[in-house]
Amino acid sequence: MTWLVWRQYRFAAAAAAVLLAGFTTLLLVTGVQMASEWHSALVTCAALHNCGNLSSTLFLGSHAVGFLVIMTLGVPLVLGILCGAPLMAHEFETGTNQFAWTQTVTRRRWLAVKAGWLLLAAAAVGGIVSGLVTWWSGPDNALQGDAFNNGRFDIMGIVPVAYTLFAMALGMTAGALMRRTVPAIGITVAGYIAVRIAVTQWLRPHYLSAVTHVYGLTQNWVPTGVAWQFAQGIITPDGRKLTQVDGTDVSGNVQVSMVPAACHPLLNQRNPGPVLSCMQSAGFRQFVTYQPADRYWAFQGIEAGIFVALAAALVAVTFVLVRRRDA
Amino acid sequence: MTWLTWRQYRIQAAIASAVLAAFAAVLVVTGLSMAAQWHTLLTGCSATSTCGSLGQTISLGGSIAGHDLVLLSLAAPAVFGMLVGAPLLAHEFEARTSEFAWTQSITRTRWLLVKVGWLLLAAAVWGGVIAALVTWWSGPRNALMQNAFEPGTFDMQGIVPVGYAVFATALGIAAGALLRRTLPAVAIVLGGFIGLRLWISQAVRQHFMTPVTGYLSATGNPAPVGSWNLGGGMSGPNGLQVAQSFSKGAVFDGMPISSLPQACQSLANSASPRSTGATFRCLNAGGYHIYVTYQPLSRYWAFQGIETGTFATLALALLAVTLVVVTRRDA
Repeated sequence: MTWLVWRQYRFAAAAAAVLLAGFTTLLLVTGVQMASEWHSALVTCAALHNCGNLSSTLFLGSHAVGFLVIMTLGVPLVLGILCGAPLMAHEFETGTNQFAWTQTVTRRRWLAVKAGWLLLAAAAVGGIVSGLVTWWSGPDNALQGDAFNNGRFDIMGIVPVAYTLFAMALGMTAGALMRRTVPAIGITVAGYIAVRIAVTQWLRPHYLSAVTHVYGLTQNWVPTGVAWQFAQGIITPDGRKLTQVDGTDVSGNVQVSMVPAACHPLLNQRNPGPVLSCMQSAGFRQFVTYQPADRYWAFQGIEAGIFVALAAALVAVTFVLVRRRDA
Repeated sequence: MTWLTWRQYRIQAAIASAVLAAFAAVLVVTGLSMAAQWHTLLTGCSATSTCGSLGQTISLGGSIAGHDLVLLSLAAPAVFGMLVGAPLLAHEFEARTSEFAWTQSITRTRWLLVKVGWLLLAAAVWGGVIAALVTWWSGPRNALMQNAFEPGTFDMQGIVPVGYAVFATALGIAAGALLRRTLPAVAIVLGGFIGLRLWISQAVRQHFMTPVTGYLSATGNPAPVGSWNLGGGMSGPNGLQVAQSFSKGAVFDGMPISSLPQACQSLANSASPRSTGATFRCLNAGGYHIYVTYQPLSRYWAFQGIETGTFATLALALLAVTLVVVTRRDA
């Protein structure tokens, strides 16, 4: 069976290897270049003591390669479309399953070996791409400190491998269900995008309960490291949280509309000090809600776990569908 | 033939309409709330005359769901090309239904032209409806960020998405005619569409018209608001040119400080508003001028037209190839 899988997929494997080799070369060359730019920028700014505003003056890498790196968001979906969806659907469409299922190899073994190797291969491709992107983005992560933000989180670390397994499993299941390639591709595209957006927007922020830091109105405070910040604003004495709305800023998170009547006369465009200390003594505080930087790998683990579990469930469904079907 | 095309594609048409309806619903709801927010903002800032700094203080997100969908609209042409364009001929060959279709009283050319004509029209409608919604939704953001001409935003507004959708579909049809298998045709659409789009938006589009050059001064950037900034450099007293590079350490108005003349470097390094003027005086006294090149906003629709025309022409060429391949093939 392993030999059969290899025979069926050697051209696909060769094409994937060529594409991966090209991608690797590009990222290695530009990555080494970028790392040395980053290193020399650090040396220069350390000598001039202006490393603080580096993130606003330094742009690392090129736009084109940066685009390509962002586009690795689509790699799991492409594997699901080109490799996952046709896996079962094309057998049904051409009727080759009738031949395959009437041999001495059991249907379950036929599916287990085929699906097993292809899931492994897809995970390897996802892992290599993600490994390269993670390494390549090292200096940029250090410069921007945004590796935990939506969009960046999704192309680095271990989650791309889990996304790939999910996309492949989704394609396989859709193919087993629809028995036609093009509808299976359609389901893979729609299902993958919908699940990814739903998890990113509605589940990921709640994997662990967010931390809220409360601090004085005249203080400056930002979470340390590569934290994922949700909201910031002020807390009123009666405990209501006010986040920035459309209006004029006084200073920091404080806006004119938030100033209580008692402190209003102290408003002064040039010097926000008196208003702030008036509000501070009235009991107003600032707050920041965020996920701390040290939870990055916990979040990667949880998200990867969710998608691996979804993939496992889909593979189980495929097995049931294939075993129950008449040849 | 029109009736046949409708029969073959009515389920796809229903699905596409449902997807478009859902897309429109999300965009209209989030777009209306964003427009209302923008209106309040403008009223508020004009009362306090702080509208100038609005770009820095406000982020006009709309809802996250709307924002994600708008970004995803970049991929809508490729999806149509993959799901409708690529199988159009490839699936006929794979399922051998071409043999039946080609032995009827209708000529092969007519069969192809009617089918392809209706589906390219559908692709144009698909691209056009999505682009119209995205353009309307982005109105307040365009006004706030002034980045409608930048690559990325340019590519999903106006008329270019129509060109992209027609091209992606024609690419799928041609790839299917040549390869005669659906899956390789789908792969060609993915690779070809992404590759060509990236290449044109990153390397070709900026040369559609000769860019305008303006010189920087202490009072600011000469490129009018909303221009597409293409980068710049510094010209020296002997016509010496240094290219702009943001990646060589600390910069002064886009120029690496290490590339400025020695005499002005220490001024540029102390980056305070007062030394900015002094740095420019120092540079200009030595005959150095920092310039930027840009495409002015007034060329936006010309660029939209050129880009749409380019992709429409490519689509026509691909159709010609398809026609030749189909008429020459044995049934």
